[in-house]
Amino acid sequence: MSQKLSKSFLSYYSNLSKKEFSLLSFERIFGGASRETYKIRLKDSLGSEERLILRLSQESSLIETEQRIEYLAYSAFQKSNVPVPILIDMSEDDSTFNVPFMLMRELNGEAANPFTPNSYSPYEQDIGIQFWSILGEIAKKRIDNEIFKAFAKDLDKPFWKTELDKWVKVIEEDSIGVEPILDAGIRYLYKYPPKESNNICMVHGDYRSGNFLYFKNKITGILDWEMAHLGDPLEDLGWALSPIWSWQDRDRPAYLIPRDEALDVWENSSAHKVDKKDLEWWELFAAIKGMAIWISAGNEFKSGKNIDPINLFSAWIPGDIHLEIILNTLESKI
Amino acid sequence: MKPDINIALLNAAQEILNRFSPLIEDEYERSRLGSWGALILISAMKVDGAGTLLDKENQDIIDWLLSHSRINADQLEVFKSSDSDSETISFLDENNQKLRTLLTKEVEFLESGGKKNEILTAYGLLRSMHHRRKVSDLVGLLQQSLD
Repeated sequence: MSQKLSKSFLSYYSNLSKKEFSLLSFERIFGGASRETYKIRLKDSLGSEERLILRLSQESSLIETEQRIEYLAYSAFQKSNVPVPILIDMSEDDSTFNVPFMLMRELNGEAANPFTPNSYSPYEQDIGIQFWSILGEIAKKRIDNEIFKAFAKDLDKPFWKTELDKWVKVIEEDSIGVEPILDAGIRYLYKYPPKESNNICMVHGDYRSGNFLYFKNKITGILDWEMAHLGDPLEDLGWALSPIWSWQDRDRPAYLIPRDEALDVWENSSAHKVDKKDLEWWELFAAIKGMAIWISAGNEFKSGKNIDPINLFSAWIPGDIHLEIILNTLESKI
Repeated sequence: MKPDINIALLNAAQEILNRFSPLIEDEYERSRLGSWGALILISAMKVDGAGTLLDKENQDIIDWLLSHSRINADQLEVFKSSDSDSETISFLDENNQKLRTLLTKEVEFLESGGKKNEILTAYGLLRSMHHRRKVSDLVGLLQQSLD
């Protein structure tokens, strides 16, 4: 697969750039569940090297999202305070690589495993401040009109209900067993909704540890925007704060800085005030959304549509953790 | 006596992780094989108790339903097995799904009545069920496989 793909990529990119290239390496990155991602190194005839990232839509992926959505989300933050890769090309048709794709420049840095404590040591403080500050920047960014319009077609109020309905539908469609804890969590969210937000912002949709690149003490890029949409800024905050991303040290969300400090940084950066009660709702919502994703992964695996082991892991381990988070939250409300 | 299934799986996982995976140069394929090794390792650790776990969970749900819900013993008679040969994991799992459906409905009923103590007993049951089933305490394996 890789050899055929690398050959067609070389031909495509030489045509696009109107230059001849030779391939230095073409490697698939492990772990992505919604896109097949390749890291590519090329050299032109003068010896200059280019480092690129190619993202291909998967025929069977966890969350089916349009390639264009991801591309537009990256477009919205080019040359902004939110570091993102420079975009090169995108196609929604199958003519080039048999599936939709997106091409961008590779950024320096590495992504951590979100389940590993101390990945950012000794730079937790520096990276933590940037992590929560960048999330605030996303919340306050004025989105270009054309991009806003493209996203607004799916915009419906109240945001909380749109999002909750969407993920409950995924659960109903993909569930392979009865889960009373999850059902109780969903009932709670519908029964005690948050206040409707007056702030519409771009929501990353998967802003968390592991979805950004860092080099030493600096965040170099925010990645994986395929679930981006317009909505309530507390949605991203609730997801990023979820204890699943710091399960072995729950007082330091994302294994970075303490929670209160993180919220201060976010409030200062976003210019929004956190409503604690509404944030609690979004944090429980994050666990339900997580369960939808892990259930969907388990379904892909069980049905044989995609037997990538990451799908089985997702159903087994993060699924367990999010159920425990839901139960802890429900008990605390009694 | 033949080696048990869990021993076979354990050895297979060790071979994959320690013998075959390091031989693969392609990073993606090596990581993917390593993940399979970790998954087989988790399966090896869980397979021996899988039937007992389901049986215990089913019995716990039945006990809770009898003491805290509107359901009576006659309605639960169907879940008693008369034939020990039929108590395969798939049979126990089929009953488990039916019992979980009953449990979900009864918890919802308690919530609508606002009976806090009763709801807490239900949550206690859910916690013990979850605790017995979970594999997330093996999260170290996940780290190894994804690192």
